[in-house]
Amino acid sequence: MIKHTTLIFAALFLTTIVLLAVAAPMLPLVDPVKMDILGRMAGPSLAHPLGQDEYGRDVLSRIAFGARASLGVALTGAILAALVGVTLGLVGAYFQGWAEQATMRPLDVILSFPPMLLALLAVTLMGPGVQTLSVILALLFAPTYARVTFGEVLTVRNQEYIEAAKALGHRPTRILARTILPNVAGPILVQFSLVVAAGIVLESGLSFLGLGVVPPTPSWGLMVRGARPFMEANPLGLIWPCVALVLTVFSINRICDAMRDLFDPKASAAVLPVSRLLAGTGIGRSRARPAAPAAFDGTLLDIRHLSTEISTPRGTIRAIDGVSLQVKPGEAVALVGESGSGKSMTGLSVMQLLPRKVGRIADGEVWYASRDGQRTDLAHVPANLFRRFRGREMAMVFQEPMASLNPVYTVGFQLIEALTAHGQMTKRDAWDGARRMLERVGIPDPERRLNEYPHQLSGGMRQRVAIAIALCGDPSLIIADEPTTALDVTIQAQILDLLEEIQAAAGIGLVFITHNLGVVAEIADRVVVMYCGQVIEEGPVDDIFHNPRHPYTRGLLASVPRPEDMAGQHKRLSSIPGTVPSPLALPPGCRFAPRCDHATSACVVAVPELEAVSANQNTRCIRWKEI
Amino acid sequence: MHYILRRCMTATATLFAVATLIFLLLHIVPGDPAEILLSGGGVAPSPESVEAMRVQLGLDRPLLEQYGSYLARIATGDLGQSFQDGFPIATEIITRLPRTLELVLAATLISVIIGLPAGLAAALKRGGALDGFLSSLASFGLSIPIFVTGTLLILLFSQTLRIVPAGGYVDFLESPAEHVIYLLMPAASIAVGLIPVVFRMVRASILEFLEKEWVRTARAKGLLERTVLIRHVIRNSLSPVVTVLGLHMGTLLGGTVLVEYVFNWPGLSGMLVRAVEQRDYPAVQGIVLVICLLFVLINLAVDLIYGILDPRVRYE
Ligand code: SF4
Repeated sequence: MIKHTTLIFAALFLTTIVLLAVAAPMLPLVDPVKMDILGRMAGPSLAHPLGQDEYGRDVLSRIAFGARASLGVALTGAILAALVGVTLGLVGAYFQGWAEQATMRPLDVILSFPPMLLALLAVTLMGPGVQTLSVILALLFAPTYARVTFGEVLTVRNQEYIEAAKALGHRPTRILARTILPNVAGPILVQFSLVVAAGIVLESGLSFLGLGVVPPTPSWGLMVRGARPFMEANPLGLIWPCVALVLTVFSINRICDAMRDLFDPKASAAVLPVSRLLAGTGIGRSRARPAAPAAFDGTLLDIRHLSTEISTPRGTIRAIDGVSLQVKPGEAVALVGESGSGKSMTGLSVMQLLPRKVGRIADGEVWYASRDGQRTDLAHVPANLFRRFRGREMAMVFQEPMASLNPVYTVGFQLIEALTAHGQMTKRDAWDGARRMLERVGIPDPERRLNEYPHQLSGGMRQRVAIAIALCGDPSLIIADEPTTALDVTIQAQILDLLEEIQAAAGIGLVFITHNLGVVAEIADRVVVMYCGQVIEEGPVDDIFHNPRHPYTRGLLASVPRPEDMAGQHKRLSSIPGTVPSPLALPPGCRFAPRCDHATSACVVAVPELEAVSANQNTRCIRWKEI
Repeated sequence: MHYILRRCMTATATLFAVATLIFLLLHIVPGDPAEILLSGGGVAPSPESVEAMRVQLGLDRPLLEQYGSYLARIATGDLGQSFQDGFPIATEIITRLPRTLELVLAATLISVIIGLPAGLAAALKRGGALDGFLSSLASFGLSIPIFVTGTLLILLFSQTLRIVPAGGYVDFLESPAEHVIYLLMPAASIAVGLIPVVFRMVRASILEFLEKEWVRTARAKGLLERTVLIRHVIRNSLSPVVTVLGLHMGTLLGGTVLVEYVFNWPGLSGMLVRAVEQRDYPAVQGIVLVICLLFVLINLAVDLIYGILDPRVRYE
């Protein structure tokens, strides 16, 4: 709310000031330089609505004419700077090479000057005055324009329409003027307004020092300068020009912010309205807490009808929609699907690591059997108590090992942090423990590695460290979210072997999230295939591989390179046509229907149920028997 | 080591460029520099005085020779004599420099002490009432010209409330308490413009780092939320904040000119304004050079701190 009010105010105020400045000579204002010794420092009156200054001059009229001077200088300077800067930036970025050196380097020198000093230097040489000010502003702000233009051009330079213009044989100047300029106009416009604001500040500052606008021309800076010695007798004379200055600069800045939000919605600080709604309702559950857990049936993790919602600027999406899956102790379950299928969200929901504020569990239960045999519904554990489970009971390994390790801490620090998260230990013990962890994940020369930073390790080594961190709390469940995707093929195999070995040795339950069915065969006991937030097929790994029922699973399998195909080197991989539908516009009925070869009119009537194909295989396709 | 060396070289190169630019400015300006410098009052100077000035500035010698001797001179720390009183400029700069530095340091300290927690609070309660309020306050603070802040502070605290003196300076050795009192308002004036900068940067980088995957890893380890915040969010966001502070030092050093003038603070900038008024070119040149040197050194320090904060840079 506060934002809109200030924006409207800023627009109104700025319009007033600009009109005042433009129309000042035509308005029935008192002559701004006419002195009136008898009316020195008189308060507001009918003839002088804002009072009179230390020489008896009319303050309102001086504010109006001062606006003329300030805005005039700032605008002239900003236009000059824009002309010079944009040209240099365009030339530098478009031609690059020596042109870049010739145009951008000298500007860097200007930028390494404190602006005020450069201005004072110029005043010394050129004397104070309006012209000097305009030149100074141009000199000071041309580099900023050049930089902005340079950066923007670089980003659009190689885009297709520029290439197209080149291919058409247009001359560079024409391409620059016609094609690139309109595209960079937005950011430059923002820059322009900022420069006008900065120009007003600089002008008033110099005038305040007596080195800017030369009296008797009125200027806000000069007004402050003049009123300062008399502030005790006539504080109003000081306050008016200050208010005019501050509000003008504020209005311009405020409008700039709004423009920036418009041109670059990504950078905008706009808040997602949904998150505020959620903030009021706690975690916002739609269902009362279920009374008693079902009898313990030997599962480690039992997810039931879990639904998770994510608020996006374009609306709330259901990233997971009624997912159920079970993991037994020591079992490896692969969660397979394309990106956007909800597989990662499932993992994050279990760990309560959904994106802050925008993600929430909307429905369902996540039963987890702790080491002491106690069963807890994780979906309903309040955030402040959840820490108990993370690290010690369950751990997570993420996709991008570089991003999932903090770059500013050593490997040892991050391991020890995990080791000591749930209890104290001596430094020596922690260090030894960390070293043993690295040994366990097969890192040679662990003592040295402990002192190294993540960026000093190779990708595979980093992922080993990430696995070691996950193992620190001796968890019963590990959720590995695409742990091999970011790695080279050979390294992938090593990491898979390591995970498999650790999982088998410690009897850890593993949820292996991946988009690649190919890596699943090796590691998984069971496979759960997800599509658009739903489980569409699940079953033992052999059944899924040899007897897939759902057309989507078949499509996934067909796109996996098999060893025998590799040997032949000739068979092309088929991939599923079409793309995953937007979660904001899911198709009615079967979510796979738009891409399914077997779709019939019956498929779009209602969302198919998960049907049992055999004792331990389920599929979500109404035609599974026929196809 | 390599990193430090490279940064030092860049700094030296920048300084060299700045010195050259200052030298060139005198010659780029259309017209005879000697005549320009003498025609301050709008009266045409006599030919004799112009000639004398040319000799004094060495303008009668070839450009390249002037440049050479200029560089040689400033390299030894000789900044020439003031036009006004003939005293060596370097000496006066050395007396005044620490006072300006103190002002800048105090202002930075205040800004960090206020800006950091405010930015953190706003980021953590993003989109809330506090965030909206602080963000609006910040954009307002950024819009107040520094001399307006100073003048209004005097109007409020010295003229109306009569709590602190309107300006001046007391040597620290004379009376530490009074020294600090005199320092307070000038430092606060600078801080009003700097706090929003720190605030915005802290808010933005906290928001950015909160989304980082290593924060998720840290939570997954089972660390306390407070520990996650301090170690994996705040600690990481220090680097960009330090960088922005460094980049802002230029504006800050320029701002001291106005603040020192408003509060009668006897730092470098007061000397600079007087020199500009008198068109005392050697003095202006000397002060600008020194402030630029300071600016470059601060940025060098920032780069080095950055190296400490972020190991990736160190091993580049
Ligand atoms: S339900 Fe119909 S559309 Fe969906 S997968 Fe089965 S056959 Fe295809």
